[in-house]
Amino acid sequence: MEKVMVVDDDEGIRCLYEQVLTDEGYKVILASDGLEAVEIFKNIKPDIVVLDIRMPGMDGIELLGKVLDMDRKLPVIINSAYSMYKNNFLTWMADAYVIKSSDLTELKLKIRELLEAKKKKNTESN
Amino acid sequence: MSGEQENILVMILAGGKGERLYPLTRDRAKPAVPFGGIYRIIDFTLSNCVNAGLRKIYLLTQYKSLSLVRHIRLGWSTMFKPQIGEFIETLPAQQRVTIDWYKGTADAVFQNIYSIQQERPELILILSGDHIYKMDYRKMIRFHTEKNADVTVGTVKVPLRDMSRYGIIELDKGKRIVGFKEKPSQKEYTTKEDFALASMGVYVFNTDVIVKEVIEDAKKETSHDFGRDIIPRIISKKRAFGHVFAQEYWRDIGTIDAYWDASMDLVSRTPELNLHDSEWPIFTFRPQLPPAKIVLDGNSRNGKIVDSIVSLGCIIKGGYVENSILSYNVLIRSNAHVEESILMSNVDVERGCKIRRAIIDKGVMLEDGTVIGYDKRQDRKNYFVSENGIVVIPKTRERGEKYA
Repeated sequence: MEKVMVVDDDEGIRCLYEQVLTDEGYKVILASDGLEAVEIFKNIKPDIVVLDIRMPGMDGIELLGKVLDMDRKLPVIINSAYSMYKNNFLTWMADAYVIKSSDLTELKLKIRELLEAKKKKNTESN
Repeated sequence: MSGEQENILVMILAGGKGERLYPLTRDRAKPAVPFGGIYRIIDFTLSNCVNAGLRKIYLLTQYKSLSLVRHIRLGWSTMFKPQIGEFIETLPAQQRVTIDWYKGTADAVFQNIYSIQQERPELILILSGDHIYKMDYRKMIRFHTEKNADVTVGTVKVPLRDMSRYGIIELDKGKRIVGFKEKPSQKEYTTKEDFALASMGVYVFNTDVIVKEVIEDAKKETSHDFGRDIIPRIISKKRAFGHVFAQEYWRDIGTIDAYWDASMDLVSRTPELNLHDSEWPIFTFRPQLPPAKIVLDGNSRNGKIVDSIVSLGCIIKGGYVENSILSYNVLIRSNAHVEESILMSNVDVERGCKIRRAIIDKGVMLEDGTVIGYDKRQDRKNYFVSENGIVVIPKTRERGEKYA
């Protein structure tokens, strides 16, 4: 089962995403901020990361750098309520930028798309 | 700073190890290698920037950067006015984005996306800190804007026999890049011209384009190099143009022999590289030293200098110097004979030395009667000798870091 890590400080969002993404057939790993996510990474390697930007402590942009440190090829989706960070070059390091919405269709599609692209790349290189 | 240059950020790649310049690079990065008596290699690129009104500069450093950083602090920092947005900053691999050293030129830019985000320029000019040339980058920037390009590569004409040393760029009539070959043989690349266009390692990028490209590159298994990885990939998908540098003089001082050749050009009667050019001055750090002095020795023998460069603080006491470059505070004693050599600062040449075709690094004292350059076998036994037989005596360790 593919592992999706969701990093968000909002408990409501974490619960919602866990439910929806479990229904999609993923194993969901939750973290409430950047530091917690870094701790989890030491033991579990997700297949894709969904990242909020504004979080107390280590924010999503800083975490993005740390994630790429561990694995530059790990797909990351930035999932923020704000569109203004799209102009920040640091967010361009993520594979996708999805603005938060009550409709999770776009997010689900992006997750699927990036995981498939990753699988394809892996089979090509093997 | 005026108008069009205001929103351009310069990133100078100054992390080169310069392994083929060893032992001049034993204790310093290649851009910090002294050249032309009073300069360091980086001074040429930095002077080009300042003369072109480009005053927002990041210098990306890593190996053995102590003397480079010191040179920038002493000689260059004061030429920039932070009050009006000018700066020169040295950026070592900061582990800001990732924890690695710079893995290549493209990776060095990738790791500084944070710094690019701080400035948010419209264009980024990528330069190498290793080359010696005088170039007005404004012409290339204007060309880039006129062509509505995504990236413009600076090229220089090189003879066909030298192609295998460079990345060769092929242009169509409108100067758009249609081909790129890394170090081709004469069989691999044919042209009707009697020259080829070599990439100078000088690039103008639209900022969004370079940021996207270095990120894409960072996620691939490549050598993370602009010349090898980014440019070949970009020419088919973006508007990539080649600007032809109008002058002939452009040198990558890659080896000891190339260094010696470029130095000998400077002491020739009409050098290809003119340092006495008030239109395009080359700036550097200048220590406060007394003027050079040429005096009789105790036996009333005259000190004599011909076809040479002599820097401040030198004392020539009855020796003979020909076709040589003397950096600061060099002392030549009576009966010493120096020919076709480069003596860096604080070198002492004692009585009766005979020195020919040699590079003597900082602080070295050549004792009475030392002979270099007259007996190939002896030279190879005693010293570091280059392919073409140039003897190099590395910087002294005995006299301390003062002479870095």
